[in-house]
Amino acid sequence: MKLLQLPRAELRRQLAGAGVWLRTGPFSLKLQSRIPFVAEGLAQLYGQFEVRNVHEAFADFQVSVNPPASLRRWVRPQAAFSFDGMQPFEPLPRDQAFPMLERGLNWCVSTQAHQYLIIHAAAVEKNGLAAILPAPPGSGKSTLTAGLVLSGWRLLSDELTLIDLRTGLIQPLPRPIRLKNQSIDVIRLFSPDTYINRPSHDTIKGTVAHMRPPRESVLRQHETARPGWVVFPKWEAGIPATLTPRSKAQTFMFLAQNAFNYRHLGADGFRIGTTLIDQAACFDFHYGALDEAVATFDRLAERRKS
Amino acid sequence: MTHASSHPPRLLKNWGDEAVVYDAASGDTHYLKPLTLALYQTCRDHPGYTAHEIAAALATRLGVQNVPHLHELTEETLASLRRFGLLESA
Repeated sequence: MKLLQLPRAELRRQLAGAGVWLRTGPFSLKLQSRIPFVAEGLAQLYGQFEVRNVHEAFADFQVSVNPPASLRRWVRPQAAFSFDGMQPFEPLPRDQAFPMLERGLNWCVSTQAHQYLIIHAAAVEKNGLAAILPAPPGSGKSTLTAGLVLSGWRLLSDELTLIDLRTGLIQPLPRPIRLKNQSIDVIRLFSPDTYINRPSHDTIKGTVAHMRPPRESVLRQHETARPGWVVFPKWEAGIPATLTPRSKAQTFMFLAQNAFNYRHLGADGFRIGTTLIDQAACFDFHYGALDEAVATFDRLAERRKS
Repeated sequence: MTHASSHPPRLLKNWGDEAVVYDAASGDTHYLKPLTLALYQTCRDHPGYTAHEIAAALATRLGVQNVPHLHELTEETLASLRRFGLLESA
């Protein structure tokens, strides 16, 4: 069944008890939390995701987000993320419990899922081909990703691009898109009907909110895509959208340096990464307006189709 | 004399006149800019050449004059390739 079919009170009850089994992309997780912000975030953003009875299904990751055991919780309420009993991060203010869950899930995948080369990049798909968008923070990557998936591109991932080591194909991991600071209003303006949840303020990244992933992207989360492009976006106010070809060798080096497990994979990482670059056209992309950026990507997709 | 190191295995992938090399011993990956790739390939094709002979072969390969500046560049690049473990001195 889908998570949205669980009544809100039942979702809270299950989360606070044995937990909820949830599928996201190729991974399943058992999530337990007594914090209402977590139930709220799941209900708002994960409605289309498959859930099962936690006692009947195996989970790849067993995670929880709960108040920490320390006395500090009585002074200032906090939330702590836990994976198989480990706490990889310091606790955060409790109203950041949902962003913390998202960060924690990214951590689980990036440290455990070595059947994939995992690149710190967004990925979107059209006509069977994926555009991989690696970029440093502040480059407008998530804003562009949100704009593209609200304009007919399929969301493969907002943060972690998974390259299957056996096939070289990109495995979708469509989860909520994290928007930061001004990006939240940019996307609200771009698509007023799009659901964006309650912003969390004063996080390490500033103000953070999450955009609900499109229903179709979630329904097609098992449908892989071939690498088509690697595009490095950079937003600058007032400039026209410009695509400039970039060196494949230097693009490979950037991806290798920004992959979570490239070194861990050794020669396999090199082989799969170079195969990916062989198939992909590589560009730098500067843009100032989201609609113009979307039109540029649409033209790219049309050219490869024809 | 210099030759391209063959042990342990290295994986080289080039796109046009640039390349990347994976060194299985260190786990490091190196970017080879056009001059470095040309020099690396020259060393691989002519094992045992001296630095002077490599510079001359490189000049022919790149279609440039064999001038003192090319010798300096060759020496510097050979040194960096040795540092990375991609070349060995005989």
